[in-house]
Amino acid sequence: MKRVLEGSQAVAEAVRLARVDVISAYPITPQTHIVEFLSEYCANGTMNARFLRVESEHSALATLIGAATTGVRTFTATSSQGLALMHELLHWSSGARVPIVMAEVNRALAPGWNIWTDQTDSLAQRDTGWIQLYCENGQEVIDTTIQAFRLGEWVNLPVMVVLDAFFLSHTYEPVDVPDQELVDRFLPPYAPKFQVDTEDPCAFGSLVTPNAYMEMRYNIAEAMEETLSRFQDVEDEYAAIFDRRYGSVEPVLCDDAEIVLVTSGTITSTSRQVIDDLRARGEKVGLLKIKLFRPFPVDIIRQVLKTAPKVAVIDRNISFGASGIFAQEVRAALCNLAGHPPVFGYIVGLGGRDVTADLLEDIYWRTKNNEAPEKESIWLGLQEV
Amino acid sequence: MAEKRESESVVPLLIPRSYMSTESNLTGSWRFLKPGYAEKTAPCSTACPAGEDIGQIEMLMTQGMFKEAWETILRENPFPAVCGRVCYHPCEGKCNRGEFDEAIAIHSIERFLADTASRNEFKPSIDKLPSKREKVAVVGAGPSGLAAAYFLTLLGYTCDVFESMPEAGGILRWGIPLYRLPVSVLRSEISRIEEMGVRIHTGKHISQDFIKEAISDYSAIFVGCGHSRTRRLNIPGEDIEGVENGFEFLRKIREGEKPSFDGLVAVIGGGNTAVDVARNIIRLGGKSLIVYRRRRQDMPAFDQEIQMAIEERVEIRELLAPAKVEFNGNEYTLTVQHMKVAGKDVDGRAAIEPEGDKTEEIKVQRIFKAIGEEAAEAWYNPPDKEENMLTLGNSVLVNSSRGAALIFGGDLTNKTKSVVHAVASGKEAAIALDIFFHEGFDAIESRLETCAVGDGPPLSMEVYMGGPRSQRKRHVVVYNEINTDYFQLIPRVTQPRLLIEERLKTFEEIDLKISANLAMREAERCFNCGLCNQCDNCYLFCPDLSVIRDNSSQGRHINYDYCKGCGLCVVECPRNAMVLEEEGQ
Repeated sequence: MKRVLEGSQAVAEAVRLARVDVISAYPITPQTHIVEFLSEYCANGTMNARFLRVESEHSALATLIGAATTGVRTFTATSSQGLALMHELLHWSSGARVPIVMAEVNRALAPGWNIWTDQTDSLAQRDTGWIQLYCENGQEVIDTTIQAFRLGEWVNLPVMVVLDAFFLSHTYEPVDVPDQELVDRFLPPYAPKFQVDTEDPCAFGSLVTPNAYMEMRYNIAEAMEETLSRFQDVEDEYAAIFDRRYGSVEPVLCDDAEIVLVTSGTITSTSRQVIDDLRARGEKVGLLKIKLFRPFPVDIIRQVLKTAPKVAVIDRNISFGASGIFAQEVRAALCNLAGHPPVFGYIVGLGGRDVTADLLEDIYWRTKNNEAPEKESIWLGLQEV
Repeated sequence: MAEKRESESVVPLLIPRSYMSTESNLTGSWRFLKPGYAEKTAPCSTACPAGEDIGQIEMLMTQGMFKEAWETILRENPFPAVCGRVCYHPCEGKCNRGEFDEAIAIHSIERFLADTASRNEFKPSIDKLPSKREKVAVVGAGPSGLAAAYFLTLLGYTCDVFESMPEAGGILRWGIPLYRLPVSVLRSEISRIEEMGVRIHTGKHISQDFIKEAISDYSAIFVGCGHSRTRRLNIPGEDIEGVENGFEFLRKIREGEKPSFDGLVAVIGGGNTAVDVARNIIRLGGKSLIVYRRRRQDMPAFDQEIQMAIEERVEIRELLAPAKVEFNGNEYTLTVQHMKVAGKDVDGRAAIEPEGDKTEEIKVQRIFKAIGEEAAEAWYNPPDKEENMLTLGNSVLVNSSRGAALIFGGDLTNKTKSVVHAVASGKEAAIALDIFFHEGFDAIESRLETCAVGDGPPLSMEVYMGGPRSQRKRHVVVYNEINTDYFQLIPRVTQPRLLIEERLKTFEEIDLKISANLAMREAERCFNCGLCNQCDNCYLFCPDLSVIRDNSSQGRHINYDYCKGCGLCVVECPRNAMVLEEEGQ
């Protein structure tokens, strides 16, 4: 049924439809609406779940690790400082192989205090063993969140569904909310591969010596590798029922493009309009939206970009001392490809600054007018200070 | 389609999981601090001259175990209904809760328990030791004598109490006014003592010959004849007719007389007798003026009694020493010398001296002398010094070579003349005699020390008889040893009382009953300092699962094989019923 929903409520609806058993969270702007909706669902009986409000995000995730170990479906949501506080337990949850799903609303890190969108918070957690899925609009948010449970439970890895603060979390859009019956068909009850059993007591997360630790890490790496194909399977299953798919990446007009803009999140939507405008003026420009960031779909990205003369990666994030994080990843994906295109890196929109169509067009022209990148990262829209 | 899919991952799942028991790792060996259960002493119980186990009483009270709580009082004090009413409750002054919000209304709960026991006709089940051959005579059926007989009976002795008045009770029967202690309450306490086997012989003429006779019939004699003669003022005119003794006045009223008063009556003195006399006069139609030579704060009367007297419009004039009484056939003239403070006395009260020759004449209709009492006969008092004489805290024992041992107690020996001190005296005498009979004269002092509550001075009969209380540590819990995070601010119960207007016209008891609900709520405020109330915090907080529940009286023990000595249990014990000591200490 089509409803006009805020991005936050799209997440909450997906969590309801996924019949999550335990939710634990600590409020933080701009994520708070998600758990507010969920706490209401729990309180008024719309959901039959335990909602545990704890004293910190660290405790929220710790709670879910414990809950998930008992074999129930779990969910949390956070942003920025809250995600940073979870850091220790992000590693723990992937190491413990519990398929927790988290909605992570991209928000800038302090100081200076800033509640607006910026991807640095989630991208800084790229090495924690969590699957990361970046969403573009409300429909993708609801679909991705439902899929996240199926995907995580399949490979026993936790999943972060990432959405931009305000531009997505607080924007109302028409969203097709799937029927419960169909969601149940897509997402059967969680069948844990291991769980606490008081009849057969054991210790989880015990000491692992050097002669076994590495194998366990390799096992996680393999699970991440497998995720790439499982993601396709999940999308196939979902499309079979709901007739919607997004792809781990989405190439738009890339085949003959001389310049491909690489985007993620809501900037993608603006970019779609920009490339249409530029195409109308005869410019050969394409777009590659990256949805799946972990595992990073290297093969398909190489496939799309190998023929492009130039690539322009748009990063709403910064790894200080290096460059935009998507740019790093794209460069790394291409570097072993003989004759790969030059990668232009642009830093834009940090701390929620608007990324306008004009700015994106400027990126196109800068890339077109330079043979090679002037610098590793070009910061656009900086004011004189 | 969903039905066709393969849900198993192709990658096997490796997770750190151990089925081995970790019990082989005896983490207790890491410990250098060792927690343990150790019940301690509550400060209230050391402030109670009778050494009542107050923390335990309040705990039983909260559990609705009224009979057991009442019996816990009876182990240390045969007069809960009396003391719940007339005791000046020094316990409350030492209550740790007083530093948090307000002290527990211990006396209100004591009275509630006693009244509940009486209404339900509870029969106490208190351990009595097997009968012993020694017989003890008790002279005087006041609170000290009755307490001595009661505790001696608990210890297995046969006791005869001899009383000159027609009814037992001493000052409780013939001194303390009805508005503080109804006679039915007293009678019920005394009959319970009699039911235990104490024989009371009233209307017995007590003389030195009587004592001489008793010396041959009994192994020991407790002398508790009390102070019943008003001290003389030693001023001109004090023997004029109409200048009366306050103590005798109180007795006459308790004998049933109901004189009426009109106009101003002077009461000379500052003790409880003076205050009681003044309050009786108010009820009989007069106006009372207490004339005291020191300041009001130096008055030896209990503060609460003074407060109530003032509420009842008793006037108090301080720093006035009586100098002379004259009577003109119509009214008395009391000449008083104005006094002034001149430093401090040895006991901390103001030292006074005449303020020049400034005098004042006070015209009154009657005058009562109430500057204190003394023994009615000099021979009631213990000898000044004699061989084989032992002066204890609240009694004096003389191991007479002529036969039975004599032990003096009550007001005859007590510095503070109060009912509860009389009980303490009777208890001390009973224990001292038991030690004397079985271990000899020389063992008395050191053995008495072993049954002190905390560091004393009160003694515990339960500890002496080896009851569970003897397992407690002597350490007296102080306020900052209580984990007040576990307590909320709750106001103390307010004692309901007769309205002042009612008090002025009647001898009805002033303090009214409180409900069981209020009494239990009040008891719940108690920190139960140093006592375990089975709250289970230690069990809940132990990170090593090393607190193990069991069937012992403690209800749990610590598994030292795995306890790492983190001390959480001790810190989280709200009541300081645990200790953390260095390992190997």
